[in-house]
Amino acid sequence: MKVLVLTTMVPFVHGGAEELFDHLVRNLQSTPGIEAEGCRIPFTWNPAERLLDEMAIARQLRLWNVDRVIALKFPAYLVPWQNKVLWLLHQYRQAYDLLDVGQSNIPDDARGAQIIAAIRTADNATFAETTRIYTNAPITSRRLKHHNGVESIVLRPPLNDPELFVAAESDGYVLATGRVNAGKRQHLLVQALRHSPATRLVIAGPPDTPDDADVLRRLVVAEGVGERVTLDLRFLPRTELARLVNSALAVAYLPFDEDSFGYCTMEAFQASKPVLTVTDAGGVLDIVRHGDTGLVTAPDPQSLAVALSALTAAPGRAARLGRAGHAAMDAEALNWPATVGKLLS
Amino acid sequence: MKIGIISTTVPLVQGGGRFIVEWLGEKLLERGHLVEIIYIPYTDELDRILPQMVSIRMMKLDDYFEQVITIRPPAHMVQHPRKVVWFIHHLRFLYDLWQTPYCPVADDEPGRALRAAVMSADNVALGEAHKVFTNSRVVGDRLRHFNGLDSEILYPPILRPELFRAGAYGDEIVSICRMEHHKRQHLLVEALAHTHTPVRLRLCGQSSDPGYLTDLRAHATRLGIEDRVTFETRWITEHEKVDRLENALASAYLPFDEDSYGYPTIEAAHARRCTVTVSDSGGVPEFVTDSVTGFIAEPDPGAVAHAFDRLYADRELARRMGDAACHRVAELGVNWDVVIDKLLA
Repeated sequence: MKVLVLTTMVPFVHGGAEELFDHLVRNLQSTPGIEAEGCRIPFTWNPAERLLDEMAIARQLRLWNVDRVIALKFPAYLVPWQNKVLWLLHQYRQAYDLLDVGQSNIPDDARGAQIIAAIRTADNATFAETTRIYTNAPITSRRLKHHNGVESIVLRPPLNDPELFVAAESDGYVLATGRVNAGKRQHLLVQALRHSPATRLVIAGPPDTPDDADVLRRLVVAEGVGERVTLDLRFLPRTELARLVNSALAVAYLPFDEDSFGYCTMEAFQASKPVLTVTDAGGVLDIVRHGDTGLVTAPDPQSLAVALSALTAAPGRAARLGRAGHAAMDAEALNWPATVGKLLS
Repeated sequence: MKIGIISTTVPLVQGGGRFIVEWLGEKLLERGHLVEIIYIPYTDELDRILPQMVSIRMMKLDDYFEQVITIRPPAHMVQHPRKVVWFIHHLRFLYDLWQTPYCPVADDEPGRALRAAVMSADNVALGEAHKVFTNSRVVGDRLRHFNGLDSEILYPPILRPELFRAGAYGDEIVSICRMEHHKRQHLLVEALAHTHTPVRLRLCGQSSDPGYLTDLRAHATRLGIEDRVTFETRWITEHEKVDRLENALASAYLPFDEDSYGYPTIEAAHARRCTVTVSDSGGVPEFVTDSVTGFIAEPDPGAVAHAFDRLYADRELARRMGDAACHRVAELGVNWDVVIDKLLA
C-alpha cells in the first residue's frame, strides 16, 4: 500500500507536531508492505483574509499514485483524495474554540463572519468525504463533535523512543522539561523555590525566544535561588534528556490548557517518575491524578511549593507515584505498530 | 541565509528531480544556511494543470525565506522577491513534444488554449525571476526558443564526488542507471553479442518494469552471452557505484534523447572512466566529445560493439579518455562551490 502523510508546515518551526509527523512517516516506512512518504504544505494564517487563499491552495492541489492519505492539520487535510484518513492534531482553532474565548486573529465583523463560515464549510465538506477521523486527544474529539457535529475516535500518539526512558535511582532534583515560554510557566517553579527550601530544580528545554531564556535567568537572580536551580536552556539531544529524566525525583510540567498528555508527561511516566502539574493543565490531567500518579495543585507558587516540599521530603512516596504513572501509561497501550495498524485499517 | 528549495513531486516516485533538490539542500546546510525543502504534489492530469499552477502561484513564502530556489516545474510559479529558478525541464508535451506521440493533448481549440495559457504563465513566472539557470544546453535553447528567455547553464554536480576512486582499467563495461526501455540497456546487450573481444558487461540499477528485466535476461541467453553479462537489478548505493566503477574499463550510458548529460556520465568521470554513448542520446554529447572523453557511436549494436572492442584492445586509450573526462568535469565547473556561489549571487 502506498501511503502519503499530509500536513502543514511553518518553515523552520519544529515542535511536537513535527516530531509526530516525522515518526509517523518513519514508522509507516518500516511497516512491511507499506511505502510511505510525507508531504508538508506551507501555511500562513495572517492576515485572516489569507486563510481563504490557503484553503483554495489546498483544495486545488491534486494527488496521484497514492492508495491512502493520512492528513494531520488544517488546511492540508483539505487536499482532495478518495481514501483519506484524518488524524486530527487540531483544526484552525481560531475559527472555533479560541474564537469563543476571544483569542482569534479573525476580525469580529461581517468579513470575519464570512471567513469563519468559509472555514467551517470547507471543514465540514472535508470531514464528510473522509474515510475515518481519528484525533490526538479527547478534547479534540469533543471540539469536533461540538462545533462540527462529527464523531471521531481518539488515537493518542505514542512516545517515539520509549526505550530511552528507564528508571534510575533518584538524584533528588525536580526536573522541568519541554519548550520554555510563559505559557509553559516554568517561572512558577522558580518562584515556588523560596517557599520550598530543600528542593533542587533543573529546567532543561529550548526557549522559544532568547527573551524567554532571559526572563527565567533574571528571575532566578531576583528570587535569590541560584544555588538550587540549574538552567539548561537549549534543545537537548534525546539521550541527554532521557538521562536527566531517568535520574530525577519527579518531573514538573505546567502547560496551560494542553490538548494531550504532553510528551513531557509520557516521558516521565515511561521512566516511572511522578508528574507535578496544575489544575488548569488541560489534557495532562487525563493521566496525572493527584495522589495517584503525581500531584496536582493550583497554578501558584505557594501551592506548588507545598507539592515540591512533599515530593522532596518523601522520595519513597514519589517513587510509588512514579510506578503508578508507569502503570497508567502501560494501560494506555500506546505504541507505534498498533497506531499505524489503526491508521491503515 | 534562510533558503527555501521549492520543487514538485509525484508522491512515492524517486527520480533525478529529487536528487538535485536533496543534494542542494544538504550542501547549503553544510555551508551554514537554514534550509527548508518544500515538495508540492503535482500531476499532469490535463484539466488540473492550470489550477495546480494557480495553487503554487498563490503560496506565500516571502515572510519565511530570504531566497527561494525552484527546481522541477511548475514550482517556478511561486512568487518571491528573490526567486532563483534552476530550470530542469519544461512541461515538454506542451513545448517541444507538442503533437508528438508523447503529447496527450489534442491539437484543437481547448488543447491549443491550454498550451498558450501554460506558456504565458511560464513567461511571467520565469521572466520575473531574479535569475534563471538551466541544467543543460538543450534546456537553455528551449527557453530561448519558446519563451524568449536567456539563461545560464549550471551543471548539477553529484552528491559526493570525492568518494570516487580510480583503479586499474579492467575488462568490464559498466552501466549504472535505472533499467528502463528508454535507457536502452537492450542495446548494450545486443552490442555485446557483436564484440570480437572477451569484453564483459555489468548492468546495475533499479527498474519500474519487471518485464523489461525479464526480456533483457532472455535476450542475453538467446544471444549466448549470458556468462559475459552481470545483472544487479536493484537500488545501487553510492559506495557500490564507487566500487563498480573503480576497476571498470569504461562506463556506458545510452539514454534516448535525454535533456542533460546525466549523472552516470559525471560519476564515471570522477572515477576517471570515459563514457560510451550514442548520437541520439540528447544531452550526453554535451559532456562526451568523441574520441576525447569517450565514444559517440551510431545507435546500432555493431557501432557500439566496435567502441567496446577498441577500449578492450587499448587500455591506454581507456585511461587517457578517462583522465580527459575527469578534467572536463573540472573545466565545466561541475562542483557545489560553483553552483552555490551562482545560485546565491
